[in-house]
Amino acid sequence: MKNSVQIGPSDTISAFLLFFIVHGAQIGVGIHGFQRIIYQDAKQDAWISVILAGLATHIIAIFMLKTLEIYGSNDLYGIHQDIFGKWIGNFFNIIYISYCSVAFFAVLRNYIEVVQTWVFPDLNTWFLTVSLLLIVMYAFTGGLRVIVGVSFFSAVLSIWLFPMLAFPMKFIEPRSLLPILDSDFSEILKGVHSMTFTVIGFEILYVIYPFVKDKEKAKKHVHLGLFVTTLIYLAVMLVTLTYFSGAQLTKTIWATLTLFGVVKFPFIERIEYFVVCFWLLIILPNLCLFIWSAFRGAKRLVKVSANKFVWLFSLIIFGVSFMFKTRPQINTFNDYYSQVAFYIVFVYPILLYVLAVAKKKFKSHKEQIE
Amino acid sequence: MSEKKSELASTQQSSAIESDHTGSAVSDSTDEFIQSVRDAVHNTSDLVVKSIPPNLTLFYIDNLVDNQTLKQHVLKELLKYPFQSPQYMLSFLSIPQVKLEGETGKAVRAMMDGTVLIHVEGYTQVVLANIPTTESRALSAPEMESQVIGAQVAFNESLSTNISLIRRYIKNPNLCNENLEVGKQTKTSIAMIFIKGVASEEMVNTLRQRITDLETDSALDSSILEQMIDDNSLSIFPQMLLTERPDKLCAELLNGKLGLIVDGSSLAIVCPHTFLEFFQSQEDQNLRWQIATFVRLLRFSAVVLSVFLTPMYVAALTYHYEVIPQTLVVPLSESRALVPFPPLFEALLLEMIIELLREAGVRLPSKVGQTIGIVGGIVIGTAAVQAGITSNILIIIIALGALSSFTTPSYMMGNVIRLIRFPLILVAGLWGFYGIMLGFCCIMIELLRQSSLGSPYTAPFYPPRLIDWRDSLVRLPLPFTFKRPSNTRPEDKNKYEPEPINPENDEQKVT
Repeated sequence: MKNSVQIGPSDTISAFLLFFIVHGAQIGVGIHGFQRIIYQDAKQDAWISVILAGLATHIIAIFMLKTLEIYGSNDLYGIHQDIFGKWIGNFFNIIYISYCSVAFFAVLRNYIEVVQTWVFPDLNTWFLTVSLLLIVMYAFTGGLRVIVGVSFFSAVLSIWLFPMLAFPMKFIEPRSLLPILDSDFSEILKGVHSMTFTVIGFEILYVIYPFVKDKEKAKKHVHLGLFVTTLIYLAVMLVTLTYFSGAQLTKTIWATLTLFGVVKFPFIERIEYFVVCFWLLIILPNLCLFIWSAFRGAKRLVKVSANKFVWLFSLIIFGVSFMFKTRPQINTFNDYYSQVAFYIVFVYPILLYVLAVAKKKFKSHKEQIE
Repeated sequence: MSEKKSELASTQQSSAIESDHTGSAVSDSTDEFIQSVRDAVHNTSDLVVKSIPPNLTLFYIDNLVDNQTLKQHVLKELLKYPFQSPQYMLSFLSIPQVKLEGETGKAVRAMMDGTVLIHVEGYTQVVLANIPTTESRALSAPEMESQVIGAQVAFNESLSTNISLIRRYIKNPNLCNENLEVGKQTKTSIAMIFIKGVASEEMVNTLRQRITDLETDSALDSSILEQMIDDNSLSIFPQMLLTERPDKLCAELLNGKLGLIVDGSSLAIVCPHTFLEFFQSQEDQNLRWQIATFVRLLRFSAVVLSVFLTPMYVAALTYHYEVIPQTLVVPLSESRALVPFPPLFEALLLEMIIELLREAGVRLPSKVGQTIGIVGGIVIGTAAVQAGITSNILIIIIALGALSSFTTPSYMMGNVIRLIRFPLILVAGLWGFYGIMLGFCCIMIELLRQSSLGSPYTAPFYPPRLIDWRDSLVRLPLPFTFKRPSNTRPEDKNKYEPEPINPENDEQKVT
């Protein structure tokens, strides 16, 4: 297949690491406050929406992997060029690159907002942006090996956060989940739709797949990663729904962080102050993977070195970060972004798969005739 | 091959000493040869030219050759059999290292290494008899890496003694010792040691290449050589281990690593080495596994404490009073009530004092070294608090951090641990927990970016190699650790064939 990605043996990663990549790319800023948004749609059945959204990610991942398997060792950008030809393909590539950049910005801006709201109200936006961009640059210029390493350590080092859920569990009221299935199905589906912002990230598969060494094992680890993410979301959602009352939850923007406020140790309490800062480690893989997949695409369009790209990219992000200042602005941005992301992540892969199969059939048919 | 290469390279880059004589053949006339040798060493006053009539002339550098051997084995024999050709001399001189040389330059260079040149009138070849003095200090107990359980011997400054120490541990013909030479001026000899069939061929080639490619004036110590040949000389983290323990070096050789010993240096280089391995001591292998595991975990938590405790204190007291529990706030604020400085300044001041004490302790002669303890303990500790410039609690925290940093077995890594605390305290004072996380991410990425002789620095955690975890943060019983670490890419992956372990079967069962 033409356009396929050429990779040296030192750049490949083992399939085992896909677990951490998928998991690390999914969990980011969404988990801070997804409960309220889903609750508005599905009320106490919000947890069913979480499960369904998790299922949806598995189904989409199957389509993605099937599409990639047709091409063997090629990424989304090469597939676009193959299916649509050079010009239209590149147009789609530009859209996808923009999507990655917007996703990068969404993570960055939302995190900065959380830091400013919870810990440092008077720390400048530009300072936070610059410090985050510098860290990302440092990781990005280390190459894929370092980026995947960041995803790995980010997942492993934040395991301790999960058992912290036990603290609010002392105060839960399980009966607030009843009655189950009170909301009708369309409301639950609306909740699933609202989960988009929280569960996306696994579309990184489209770009990273050619770099996987033992591709036959990829499937297992991707699905395992998705499953663990869903499990974490489900646990957080269940605790939130039972800990807060409905009216309280609709007023709590960052419910997960509020939950951390209950945690108390002999030497430290109110650990949400620390957790908000610690979240830097959790969003780092998000940022690195998005900028990396944008770079892979940009490399297809124009000859650009990693260093040049990362400086240009950071400058643009830095400039754009001045445009969003208030909470309503960011909220609107998030809404628009999740709308677009829904189509790109949840609808488009199915379409692309159909096109890829059709193209393959057409090609083999043509070869038979010849 | 490589020896030839390095020799060739050094001849090409010939310095002023031998530039006139390199390649020039040995003259058959005695007078001419004397002149050419004198020119080559610029008439140095310790050159001894001794004529033995009728036709022999001896050249050597005073104090470089062993006088006893010279008298008994060279002069005596030569006087017994005069009028011999150089070829015949090879057989009757009763010393082990004798050879012929036809080039003046090479002969003169050999002379610098403790060789006697014997010139015979009328022949265009000289006999080189190597009888160097063996001046070195006696073997002593290791000082930097002392251990309770284990061999009490450290390397000294003599290359040959050090190699013999290793050969005494590993009596194996596969133990290869390759001689290399570094330094245009110093011509320091370096021994590259590895076990053939265990160490990776590729790594051996890489290391040899790095050393022969070095264009440097000198390599006076192995620590200097280490900085020149490691993967990233700009990084704060050392990528090769310096050890003074022969048993440590041998254990690492058996793991498939490579060793370098530099003549005149009492520290051997071990590579490739991972970040984690810098915190493992050879004693961990000697202790029972439960104790070794406990000590290792203690050491790793000490490192984390040492790096992050003071920054946490500074961050919490400057920005995040909320995270301190009520019961802790009272003693904290009481002890800080009289302190006029902000926490950042207070912490930096005290850390600087501790570092000063450490540096002074190293520089002072051991006789006055005890004074430092008194000055540090009484003057700084008590007086500073009474004068009200620091709080009691900070002193405890800083002392804990300093103590923890000394538990690192490698001195080089201990230094790093102490140093990276300072920028972290600074960012903690400026941006609180957020600053600490920035610093932490920086350190993590920096570690991920390093490699040691081409193999990942953060192994066995990333890339994850589960089987190597058995001997990492913990140390499982020896029967479980039969694999060599895959980080060294060993040719032979197993230390031995594992056998099923169930000791109960051999013991009497309770009936």
